[in-house]
Amino acid sequence: MASVRLRGIRKQYGDNPVIKGVDLDIEDGQFVVFVGPSGCGKSTLLRMIAGLEDISEGTLELGGVVSNAIEPSRRGIAMVFQSYALYPHMTVAENMGFALKLAKVPKGEIQDRVTRAAEILQIGHLLARKPKALSGGQRQRVAIGRAIVRKPAVFLFDEPLSNLDAALRAQTRVELARLHRELGATMIYVTHDQVEAMTLGQKIVVFNGGHIEQAGTPLELYERPANLFVASFLGSPRMNFLKADLVGEREHLASVRLAAGATVEVAADAGRQHIGSALTLGVRPEHLRLAHEGTPDPRLELSIDAGSTPGRERRKEGRREGIPGTLNLVEYLGDVALAYVQVAGMDEMVSVKIHGGHGGVKLPVLGTEVRLTFDSRQAYLFDEAGKALPGAHAPAAPSAF
Amino acid sequence: MKRRTNLGWTLVGAVAAVALALLWAFPLLWALSTSLRPELETVSNSFHWLPQTWTLDAYAKTLQAGNVLRWLLNSFVVALAVTVVTMAISLTAAYAFSQLRFRGRNLLFGVAMLAFLLPFEALLVPLFRTMNQLGLINTYAGIVLPQVVSPVVIYVFKGFFDEIPADFREAATMDGAGPLRVLWSVYLPISGNIVWAMAIVTFIAAWNNFLWPFIIVTSNEMMTVPLGLTQTYDAFGVRYAQLMAAALLGALPVGLAYALFQRKVTQGFLAASGLKG
Repeated sequence: MASVRLRGIRKQYGDNPVIKGVDLDIEDGQFVVFVGPSGCGKSTLLRMIAGLEDISEGTLELGGVVSNAIEPSRRGIAMVFQSYALYPHMTVAENMGFALKLAKVPKGEIQDRVTRAAEILQIGHLLARKPKALSGGQRQRVAIGRAIVRKPAVFLFDEPLSNLDAALRAQTRVELARLHRELGATMIYVTHDQVEAMTLGQKIVVFNGGHIEQAGTPLELYERPANLFVASFLGSPRMNFLKADLVGEREHLASVRLAAGATVEVAADAGRQHIGSALTLGVRPEHLRLAHEGTPDPRLELSIDAGSTPGRERRKEGRREGIPGTLNLVEYLGDVALAYVQVAGMDEMVSVKIHGGHGGVKLPVLGTEVRLTFDSRQAYLFDEAGKALPGAHAPAAPSAF
Repeated sequence: MKRRTNLGWTLVGAVAAVALALLWAFPLLWALSTSLRPELETVSNSFHWLPQTWTLDAYAKTLQAGNVLRWLLNSFVVALAVTVVTMAISLTAAYAFSQLRFRGRNLLFGVAMLAFLLPFEALLVPLFRTMNQLGLINTYAGIVLPQVVSPVVIYVFKGFFDEIPADFREAATMDGAGPLRVLWSVYLPISGNIVWAMAIVTFIAAWNNFLWPFIIVTSNEMMTVPLGLTQTYDAFGVRYAQLMAAALLGALPVGLAYALFQRKVTQGFLAASGLKG
């Protein structure tokens, strides 16, 4: 096992910078997920750690040893490829033992290690088969087995689940987490799937345009996104963003006026902004509530609505509050429904996630005028540059990775 | 009704296929028929499809009088050496052009491909002079060396390697394999059929090559089969039965090799053409 330390890592293809200076510390035994959209550089960085790509600039330390110039096979690293890259002419056992054979490990030991890895992955019955006789899930296990037998200090996974169907992906996710617990090895996992990132990672590193946008635990990133990009990348459906102008600020509570006309309060420190600054209000779909005429007690619903802070006087009781809109579409997903509300002045519809009880979700008919409400502590404000304003949820030190 | 029509077309197709096969095989069958006649019968005015008297005399005399066994050995040594060295050079060159990144790679590949434009005949004189200076006239090395660089084979292998996902190379690299090991243990087995196909084609071409051995070899002892056949003609005068016997004996190993590896050759060409084998 080993820690991984990246300092000032850059990668350039000709004049085209792909990785633009990455500093990152990965602790020994940590499961770290690199996440980001296609072309953000996450796979390139993984390949640089593996030694498959040269490092143009910066220092890579594996277990405290500068490893920039060390051959891939001597870095104590094993990699699971997206395509699995199982040698088609070799059996499963030969695939798994190939690296050991090259390292001139005695045959008996190769057999022992392959058998042990096969037991862990429950693929003992497949050892004599060729890859073409395996299902996608089985191939994936063999690819992991090939990594395990080498007893590497660091495991690298390059989108290993992307070729599996949804059910198998979920199952394999659980198994990977179990494997990490059992082996206790450092694992770096690349994906563009935020669900994989959130469920597997002890630490998530969000990449965009060749640099790190934010790094932290899944909950930190979800609750305290450093900027619009991270806020929009994590969470499904993604966070709603509404254009707003700052109209007032007091006691870490910012008042903003939306294009729709409503004024709401958000628990954010807008001290550095001036009145009239253009901001973006962000609210996750699961933190929005729908209020409408059919709500059993609309005033009660509305009394905890937009901008209200628990403990504060229900000063606007009885007044129609929240963001007005029209219910346009509802997607029922069993115990959860996604309601889409058209809000004046917005191109995109605002999505609201509604959890139902045993009786399922009950919503007003489409076309009903509704009001969107939320807890001020569960909303975010972003400045013109897209950076989150510090507040109840904003990160204390966004650039500290 | 439709079924009857289909049957009709199948029959027409079968008859046409047999006719074409006979047409193609006719020279071969005629050579076989001639080689099994007494020498006198081959110059007789009366025409017969089959020998009037069946005899293996021509084969016996060819094997006794000429140097056929020696020429067969020479052809085998030369064709095998040309095949092995051509494969070694072409595979490593194609792998480098396809998978390795180095300065001047495209330029070098372009230069290698330029050899396409030069007819071998244009190189005869400089090649002969070089071989002469190296003292390689009438040697195996002299016959083999000018034949071992084949841009076509490099081109075919490179095209094939380009299609193999780089993940295999990278996985093998992570497993601790160097470039030669990756080529030998991963790329070669994956490309199995096309390698066999190219090897057989190279072997046959080297076996049948007449021009270069004709230039570089003057000693009867170092002659290959195609070259030796001209000597057979001279030695025996117009002795058609023996000429055909020698030709068939010379072609036999190549025919056997092709028959043995026919399936791999076909699969290899299908794979190279992108069709499924």
